[in-house]
Amino acid sequence: MLVPMKKAMLYALKEDRDSILLALQREGNVMLIPSAEEKVLPGAENVGNEVEKTHGAIKFMDMHVGKSSFLASRTPVSYTKFLQDTPEAAGLAEQVATLEDKISSLRNEAITMLAQAEALKPWLKLDIPLEALGATVSSVYFAGYMPELTKDEFLADIKDLTAEVIVLDEAPEGRAIVVFAYKADGPEVKHFLKAHDFADVVFPKRIGLAREIAADLTDAARMKESLADNLEEEAKKVAERKAELQLYYDQLIAKQDRMASSGLETQKTFFVEGWVRADKTDEVVKAVKEVTPAYDLNFVEPEEGEIPPTVMENGKFSRPYEFVTELYSRPKIGSLDPDFMMAPFHFIFFGMMLSDAGYGLVLTILLYVVLKLFKPQDSTGKLLTVIFFGGISTVIWGILFGGWFGLEWRPLLFAPMKEPLKMLALCFGLGALHLGTGMCMKMYLDVKRGNVWAAIFDELSWLVMFLGLFLMALLPSEIGKYLAILGAATIVFTGGREKKGIIAKFFGGLLTLYNISGYVSDLLSYSRLFALGLATGVIAMVINTIAKMLWETGPVGIIVAVFVLVGGHIFNIIINVLGSFVHSSRLQYIEFFGKFYEAGGRAFTPLAIRTKYVDVTK
Amino acid sequence: MLTLGTTLAFAGAAIAAGLAGVGSAIGVAIAGQAGSGVISEDPDKFGNVLVLQALPGTQGIYGLLIAFIIVLNIGVIDGNVKELTTYQGMALLFASLPIAIGGLMSGIYQGKVAASGIYLCAKRPEETGKGIILTAMVETYAVLALLISFIMVNGVKL
Repeated sequence: MLVPMKKAMLYALKEDRDSILLALQREGNVMLIPSAEEKVLPGAENVGNEVEKTHGAIKFMDMHVGKSSFLASRTPVSYTKFLQDTPEAAGLAEQVATLEDKISSLRNEAITMLAQAEALKPWLKLDIPLEALGATVSSVYFAGYMPELTKDEFLADIKDLTAEVIVLDEAPEGRAIVVFAYKADGPEVKHFLKAHDFADVVFPKRIGLAREIAADLTDAARMKESLADNLEEEAKKVAERKAELQLYYDQLIAKQDRMASSGLETQKTFFVEGWVRADKTDEVVKAVKEVTPAYDLNFVEPEEGEIPPTVMENGKFSRPYEFVTELYSRPKIGSLDPDFMMAPFHFIFFGMMLSDAGYGLVLTILLYVVLKLFKPQDSTGKLLTVIFFGGISTVIWGILFGGWFGLEWRPLLFAPMKEPLKMLALCFGLGALHLGTGMCMKMYLDVKRGNVWAAIFDELSWLVMFLGLFLMALLPSEIGKYLAILGAATIVFTGGREKKGIIAKFFGGLLTLYNISGYVSDLLSYSRLFALGLATGVIAMVINTIAKMLWETGPVGIIVAVFVLVGGHIFNIIINVLGSFVHSSRLQYIEFFGKFYEAGGRAFTPLAIRTKYVDVTK
Repeated sequence: MLTLGTTLAFAGAAIAAGLAGVGSAIGVAIAGQAGSGVISEDPDKFGNVLVLQALPGTQGIYGLLIAFIIVLNIGVIDGNVKELTTYQGMALLFASLPIAIGGLMSGIYQGKVAASGIYLCAKRPEETGKGIILTAMVETYAVLALLISFIMVNGVKL
């Protein structure tokens, strides 16, 4: 059911603000409403920067120590410990950030140096120190690369000019050469070189022979690398203190949440508004009272036009199915919470679509273990519980249909593959029940809101007509026909009652009767219950058949067959659990919700301790 | 001895498995390409992306299913291939067409919706569920095709 919400209005002294928010955060009952004029609180930016820095530090540590596994249980931390300031953690984050910077800059420098050394490779044989390769009083030099292919032609042609050529090693850019000429001949040589695709080279600004420079660069690079390696070792040691940083990160996030909205302020006081569940108002008062007697706290009903967030409250069996509803959209305030009706249908449909008792057993046992060991929270926990329940349903339907890992064994009801028409009848029957329940829920909603006539004309008439058609097919007596006619007539005469003019009303009614095609297509949609169950069963059969064929080929075949069996059935379970969940949910969203559901609710996100790494115990 | 009918039945099974498989392959590939792009920006989204990529894969399975049932019914599995009349073979060939063509086209298009669902998940990770629902809507037609193919194949008495 949807929980009624109240708006809390709190006035208090600014000096108490953080303690009050801390107390409210601990209880997690109030969703703060941002006020029209929001101010950024002093220090909020610093906290934001700290969060970034800590996050980066934790990521860096993950690289060195390895990430914790996906479902690792979070470290429990007492609330008092959570409140304690940890200046060492701040220093640790700083230290890690500096380490990270140093390591990356060292490695980058090493890479640049090695690249420069590599570029000098073709020049190693040059006996002239690089700084001496400058123009002198009477000569100029050109150092660069010449295309390898035209080398011989080049050397032959250049003999015509007064120039000296030193030919060095090959490089990716071409053959390295140095050409000397008299200054007077400079332009002619330059022209000649350009005509022969000569490319200039730029040397690093260093002193000494090329080979000495290259050796220096390589040594320096190696030194930087080893420095970086040492720092990496240090980082590994520091990374062992990851838990401290994780706690610090969670504390920072909690602080950031508290500083998120400023509310309205005067010089000495502040005012905030928030949404609170109507049944939790006393707890909120108690939390504030414990901090200070100087406050003014009132609870009011939401005004016209204000939309409070949606909070759902359900029994233990239906609560995990809130996940299915939340995946679609939360219910609008004042509407119905569909979970208590949706849960049993989702349960049944999931089982019918997976429909193999063996798979159901595997799923149930596996998920029971996961739920007990890891105790996942919130959405993940709800999803896993839904699948856990689905596993139980699968076992039931598997026993009814006689499916055990693809083998057929004593179905309690019938085997769907052998009697497809009976199975389709079952699917459509359940579908009709599902649709009927949806329509009943709409009737209930209408009556609750006082539109009794709408309930009769829009829903009851359809139900009567369908009942009549159903009876017509089953019973030989005339009652079915009369009910159907009664229902159809009601629809035709009242369907267009919103329109003006008797002709328009009549045609409106006929048009409304035409909606029967919508109902037929909804009903046909339920055939997927059969189709998906069939898919699971036949794939399992295929896997078994292949394994049997392999088994008969000998000892090697037996080993391969075992792999095929285990791998194939696991694959089949995964694919079909996904399919069963998605389609089971889809049937709720489109066919069931389509009858009565009003979406559009907002999520309730109270100021609470949201932690990523630790579990705060009160 | 292989009659024309049996051969036509083989053709039916081949078309069912082949075309539906192509549909899924293309669909999953389209989704996978989108997924690689998203993961290159944010590796943590791999789980969500994988779920969306897997959704167009079901058409290939449905095609295999029909092919397997045809092949089972004509006796290939237990080694005694029956001799079908031409009409029986043609019936099985036609029976495989819904899942073949339906699987092919719905697989490709479901892949496109899955790819856009992956982009949705990149921008708004908390709404991945809606992307999954949008992708699953296309599946309806593959399911209907599978169903009618199954009923028709079952209806051919050999």
